[in-house]
Amino acid sequence: MNKIGLIFNGVWSHYTFATAPKYEHIIKLIYIHDFNKESLEGLDAIMIPFQSHQPALAKRKKLIYDFLNQGKKVFVEGDSSMDWIDGTWEDRPVDNYWWVNSPNNPPISETDFSHPVYAGLTPRQSCWHTHGSYTSMPSDARAIQRKPNGEIITWETNQYGGTLLATTLDPIVEHGVQQITYLDNYVDKLITWLNGEVPQGSFEVPRNKYGINVQHDSL
Amino acid sequence: MIEAAVISNGLQGVHAYFISNHRVRYHFLEVDEHFNPDLAPYELLVVPNGCDHIAMAKIKDSVKHFLDAGKSLFCMDGWFTDWVPGNQWVMDNSKKSIDVRYTLCTDRHNLFNDINIDSFIFSHGISGWWSCGYIIPAPHADVILKDTWNRAIIVLDETTTNGVMFLTASAPLGDTAGQATDDRNSMKDLVKLYQQLLDLIIGKSLQKR
Repeated sequence: MNKIGLIFNGVWSHYTFATAPKYEHIIKLIYIHDFNKESLEGLDAIMIPFQSHQPALAKRKKLIYDFLNQGKKVFVEGDSSMDWIDGTWEDRPVDNYWWVNSPNNPPISETDFSHPVYAGLTPRQSCWHTHGSYTSMPSDARAIQRKPNGEIITWETNQYGGTLLATTLDPIVEHGVQQITYLDNYVDKLITWLNGEVPQGSFEVPRNKYGINVQHDSL
Repeated sequence: MIEAAVISNGLQGVHAYFISNHRVRYHFLEVDEHFNPDLAPYELLVVPNGCDHIAMAKIKDSVKHFLDAGKSLFCMDGWFTDWVPGNQWVMDNSKKSIDVRYTLCTDRHNLFNDINIDSFIFSHGISGWWSCGYIIPAPHADVILKDTWNRAIIVLDETTTNGVMFLTASAPLGDTAGQATDDRNSMKDLVKLYQQLLDLIIGKSLQKR
């Protein structure tokens, strides 16, 4: 139960993703400004979504790398900062036009489909759009996905003890946004890889997730 | 010149959307564990896309007080908590973005003057790029832009509080279009709407002075 922590900074799509009935028993929301060592107790993995609070993550860098050093898994999506990750992320325009212009050719040139997250996915399921590129990655990392110009979309490394998987895809945010309807394929593979649990059912966000009156302490 | 506070959620690139100039000086207030900013020095509060709506809910009373002092709020997209007085944003995936079309409704301040609404519908000819849920508006707020299903997409509310609330269901919106689109028409008209909105707010501030 709730073996994956999602580091959350009050962004709506993180909230709808983690609290949806499909995932609420698997994912534990951890508000970034309350994130401490105790938050990680009992967890197998953490997710750090696109649109995260980069300076706050940098302040808690040691927590993340200590967690990795215990052999755990960390998944990072979207943007990141060199203040806490040994790779260079750069912004790029988002390509949302390939669905119309060339629907069988997502903006990606190579994917290592032997990676457990990508095994069995179609090219469309493995890349919908990216938010930027990695122009460098940690010294022992290997690229899993690249763009046609050679820039890195996804990389993985074990050099910190556990497994750090970083991508400029945004499966958590975009699934929470609910406009791309086939992301269960990627997300279910990701969750299964992170802690072994296979999510069941369809992804839906109940209407009562909007307009909530938040008592901060109840998060 | 007006002084504006922009709530920063620590996202990469947020500073690129709001550029201080001779009309507005931006102050970025970064959310942290002690977030409880003094809003008194500012005439405008900007809450951009990707903001921390848990933090905003914590300062809900301060925002209400700020608006009741006759000041202005811009909030773009995603307030899933109930901190915006009288108006609630909701995501909904029951409608397809390919069917999204916008219509101008009540635009009493001519914010859409010389702006092509198609720029907010299409990017590179593909519809729905600037669509992300809808707003349940306050009873007497102006719905400036509505969508195919008559849902409020842009709201101007000058009645719920003593101040002005300009609310968008989608984003981004700012002094630049950032990296959100590279469609020249969309970039141009997003920026133009924001500048015409600033004209309105600056005009109101000057009147008050």
